[in-house]
Amino acid sequence: MVTANPVTGSRFSGPAGQTARLMLYGLLAVVLMAMDQRGHYVPRIRSAAGYLAEPVYHVVEWPVRASRNLYYQFQSRRSLRHDNEWLRLRLLNQKAELQRLDALAQENRRLRSLFEGAQSQQFEYRFAELLRVDLDPFSHKVLIDRGSKDGVTIGQAVIDGSGVMGQVEDVHLHFSTVRLISDPNHALPVQINRTGLRTVAFGTGETGYLSLTSVPREADVRKGDLIVTSGLGDRFPGGYPVARVTQIDREEGLSFAVLKVRPLAALDRGREVLLISTPEKHDEEADDAGTPSITEETAAEETDSEEAATEIAEDQAADEEAPE
Amino acid sequence: MNTRGDRFSVIFVTLAIAFALTLAPLPPILEIMRPYWVALVIIYWCLETQDRIPLGLAFTIGIALDLLTASLLGLHAISLVIIVYLVTRFRARLRFFPPWQQALSVLALLTNDRIILLWIISLRGEPLPSMEFWLPPIVGTLLWPWLFLILDRYRGAMRHRSNR
Repeated sequence: MVTANPVTGSRFSGPAGQTARLMLYGLLAVVLMAMDQRGHYVPRIRSAAGYLAEPVYHVVEWPVRASRNLYYQFQSRRSLRHDNEWLRLRLLNQKAELQRLDALAQENRRLRSLFEGAQSQQFEYRFAELLRVDLDPFSHKVLIDRGSKDGVTIGQAVIDGSGVMGQVEDVHLHFSTVRLISDPNHALPVQINRTGLRTVAFGTGETGYLSLTSVPREADVRKGDLIVTSGLGDRFPGGYPVARVTQIDREEGLSFAVLKVRPLAALDRGREVLLISTPEKHDEEADDAGTPSITEETAAEETDSEEAATEIAEDQAADEEAPE
Repeated sequence: MNTRGDRFSVIFVTLAIAFALTLAPLPPILEIMRPYWVALVIIYWCLETQDRIPLGLAFTIGIALDLLTASLLGLHAISLVIIVYLVTRFRARLRFFPPWQQALSVLALLTNDRIILLWIISLRGEPLPSMEFWLPPIVGTLLWPWLFLILDRYRGAMRHRSNR
């Protein structure tokens, strides 16, 4: 170990060479980061790397899965029966609720047809679980255990039991990457459920709240109002709960109110999620599978100033309803 | 004497464990304190092996980490390259520091790394993180002496085995 080593010798060839290499690699990393930020090439690198990453994820989450299986093994019959009974009761309750909803949906459809409005679509839900792997907290992404083998497509909306979580960004063989709505680059077309006012919910980089822009200062918004998806932009189906209004700042002199809303979905601690798919739209979605998934919303964000935002949302609405 | 290949396999095993610890699921409270395992392990190997860890290797490890943790591609690469550069530069001094002084240098390295990360975050236009952002370097520093001992023992055991 103590013998002179030709490699060690090179250390004394001068720190200048080393510094030059530092600069080189630093520059390379900065170029990569810029490319990633702009979405050039890097998504393709990521997709390719996904195949190599998959076994790693499985190895990392194996202890968690194993311990959970062990727990199920030793869970007593009694507690299982108890759970079973409780779930059955809950299911019954929800069925009763659903019956009422069915009647409402029926009525809704009739009224819509009277107005020759868009027919509401049937959605399919697919259950998925989050992989027990912690990604970079600044990436605002999670992994789910369904991939292209299970028919997951890019851009699919992901919800959990209480609200919208995000959208599928990248699909691999047995898992997919989901971008959360808390990502600062993510914009979600929403409306306020009580008044129907349309706006856009932007991620803030924190899982605790989203921000709503382009809500007029005098608009009728109250604390506790439910925010639901508006279905504009064709990415997320309309009517799914997103968040509740927690804070409204109506500053004098500004024409827009600043709204903070708290996401209903458990963005940072969810475990089970549902993938929404619209059966008749599968082909269309497969076509634009190559494009980055959030471009259309972000494009809207870049082009319009605050004033124009609402108008564009209205235009979009008009465009959407025109063909039908 | 053990061969170069042996040494690399030892480094590889410790790095693999560091990767697993980075990805391992933790409850949210612990997650914000997760130390930068890969950097800690790399700092150790930078100090203790006689071959220098080339910057290119640090870069490659960083890219692998970026792809696995879905971070911005190049983020960990630049941070590891800078760490390896600094440690190699001051290796002669760092090696003979008493443990507490060495731990302080590790704190400086990790904090410097956090500052670079902060710079990247602000370049991306993301909101600045809260105070807990500074926890991982502190946790890393507290873990450093123990990690150092564990890795030393592991390395000793491996060397012993290959001598026989």
